[in-house]
Amino acid sequence: MSDAVNNQDAPAFDPRAAKQIHDWAHTARLLACRVDPTGKFVFAGAIDYTIQRWEIATGTRTELRGHDNWVSTLGFSPDGATHYSGSYDGRLLFWETAAATPQPQRTINAHQGWLRRLDVSSDGKWIATCGNDKLVKIWSAEDGTLVRELSGHPHFVFCLRFRPDSHELVSGDIVGNIYHWNGDDGTLVRQFDLKEIYSNIGDIAPFGGIIGLAFSPDQKKLTASGLYKVSNAPAGGRRAVAVSFDWQSGEKLGFQESIKKEVDATMWRALYHPGGHMIGVLEKSFGFWLPGEEDLYHSVETASEIFDMDLHPNHVDLFTAHFDGHVRCTKLAAAPTS
Amino acid sequence: MNKKNTIWCGSQEHSVGRRQFMGSVMAGMGAAAGASLFTHPLGASAIAQKGKSVVVIFLAGGISQFESWDPKSDFDTGGPFKAIPTTVPGIHVSELLPYTAKQMHHMALVRSINSGLDDHGLAVNLVRSGRTTRSATEYPELGAVVAKGLERDGFPLPGHIHTMPSGIGGRSNNASYLGPQYSSVAIGAQEGGVVNSKLPDGMTVTVDSRRHNWRRFANDRHRRVKQSAEMDAYTQSYEKAIQLMERRDVFDVSREPQSVQDGYGKSDFAKQLLLARRLVEQEIPFVEIKHEGWDFHHNNFEFHTHYVGDFDRPFAHFIADLAERGLLERTLVVVMTEFGRTPKINPGYGRDHYPDAWSIAMAGCGIHHGAVYGKTDDKGIKIVDGQVDHRHLFHTYLRAVGIDSSAEFEIAGRSFPIADPAVGPIKELLT
Repeated sequence: MSDAVNNQDAPAFDPRAAKQIHDWAHTARLLACRVDPTGKFVFAGAIDYTIQRWEIATGTRTELRGHDNWVSTLGFSPDGATHYSGSYDGRLLFWETAAATPQPQRTINAHQGWLRRLDVSSDGKWIATCGNDKLVKIWSAEDGTLVRELSGHPHFVFCLRFRPDSHELVSGDIVGNIYHWNGDDGTLVRQFDLKEIYSNIGDIAPFGGIIGLAFSPDQKKLTASGLYKVSNAPAGGRRAVAVSFDWQSGEKLGFQESIKKEVDATMWRALYHPGGHMIGVLEKSFGFWLPGEEDLYHSVETASEIFDMDLHPNHVDLFTAHFDGHVRCTKLAAAPTS
Repeated sequence: MNKKNTIWCGSQEHSVGRRQFMGSVMAGMGAAAGASLFTHPLGASAIAQKGKSVVVIFLAGGISQFESWDPKSDFDTGGPFKAIPTTVPGIHVSELLPYTAKQMHHMALVRSINSGLDDHGLAVNLVRSGRTTRSATEYPELGAVVAKGLERDGFPLPGHIHTMPSGIGGRSNNASYLGPQYSSVAIGAQEGGVVNSKLPDGMTVTVDSRRHNWRRFANDRHRRVKQSAEMDAYTQSYEKAIQLMERRDVFDVSREPQSVQDGYGKSDFAKQLLLARRLVEQEIPFVEIKHEGWDFHHNNFEFHTHYVGDFDRPFAHFIADLAERGLLERTLVVVMTEFGRTPKINPGYGRDHYPDAWSIAMAGCGIHHGAVYGKTDDKGIKIVDGQVDHRHLFHTYLRAVGIDSSAEFEIAGRSFPIADPAVGPIKELLT
């Protein structure tokens, strides 16, 4: 397919030419993956409490041990030198990204209960975390001290995201609230209501909520991903969905889902290609949406359920973390002609 | 928010009106009178057990033993929750049960149940009847057996009650050959007690009493001419219904002090526990509270976080309240379910049905407190010590409240073993 919205500087991006180029296996299921900003390594968080690091050029695997529960979230300093990890053990760990024998450089008891997600500000000064204690916390990347604690979410905080090039951040909870915070002074700027993607099972268990957050490349849109159309929650009956808001006005712009291809799925992550295409997780596949289009225009099947993904800095290699313990890399571009 | 989602297993709420309820009670009482002509009392041993109660909390759908009574932290089957210590040294439960952990000195666990069937309906039949049967009606359920085993002459209230969050229901068909008088009556835990049980507007107690006196007069006159068991039963059922209406306050949880209501909490489950405590105070033989929706084939860990959370605090408060009031000395509490969940975590981060190695919890009278019976392997896949099944448990529940489970009911000239005669109770758990 021609890349109608791709900008001229981005590498050739063609999802229809997608081809898996790497498949690296770990023995435990994976929950998270991120590619370091230099593009040298991909890291994956596993339920055996380890982090797995693969050198992309060689496939060499290194194991990082330091957590005491499932590793749920990963991130990097902007220069790629430092790697951060968060776990259901409630701790935030700092690591030297390229260390030959990685050991935690700093350990922070960040949250009571599960630490769900972390994100790093564009200037690299702050790391934000959130968790089941209903809190968002901002930490100094320099010395690990707590900069600010943001309270107000009524329930578990699933995810958060710094707005690029700012200290503003958004956080989303299990009951469909998105809070927009000013990280500099800790004030709650406004709230986005997305109760449509939250269900209450048996009046006991919230299901769904804001599972992922992403800003569009032009920063005009905030996109939340998760699930809705819950038909039988305990058996997994639901549909993956992404919902975008106009950042300026707060207006809800519409829903993006897999309409023609019906699949029970949770959109664990949605991310944007620099050209504006949205890429979303759909169980064993990942799909592609054009801006403003409700249904996906293409999807790529994989061998196992996907729980996280990240785009390489080259903008065409998509890394996915799978239930079967594999990290796979799919090139979203045609093979170069020789 | 999406509209409230129903839970996986269908609810058995019986939201019907007073007429149906009273009709059911009357039918049951009628049958009771009829049946009593043919049944023999259990004997002196049963009389000695007057005042005891059994409360079953049925976690329908299959709670995960890993996320409750038999945690396997740090193994790949164990999930993300840690084991926490309890008030009994050496006994650990899931971190999702912090309040219950503080009541373990009143409790006992069985961690070695292999019941064989992984179908909800069939498995429910097993654990409720204590028999290996594929029928829901072949054998009486535990509640019916207890209601008969602890039956007392002149007791004014139903002996086998299933609570509901609200409303009122008829009798279920769960007493088999014991007869409908031992079937469960469903009663809601709403403010005001049994719905529609007040006298109609304009009907005074005096007028109502006059009506009943007229009925009694007519009945007596007729009986002098002709007497039959059916008519006696009909008369009894009226009197039972009147007694129930006169005792309607028993079912009104709002009569508890606000501090007590607050202690239990505001959830549907909490209110039903409070109602159960009131019923235990009245020495009602059997009360069941159903907590539905535990069938988490998907998203098991998130759902257990919330569901066990909904269970934990009110349940622990219930046990503490029974203990404080001295009621736990004559009450057996059983946390029942129909099977466990798989050690294997599926791709939806769920657990599927697993009858091979699962657990239940008990508290209260007749059992050793702070005991654990049976053991599974490190990963919770197989039983390595003390394998038992639903039949052993059934015997154990009955023995704990003093019912001789090796005895027989004599009904209409036939003998019916109270529990499966092929097995016996878990003696190690009984005091």
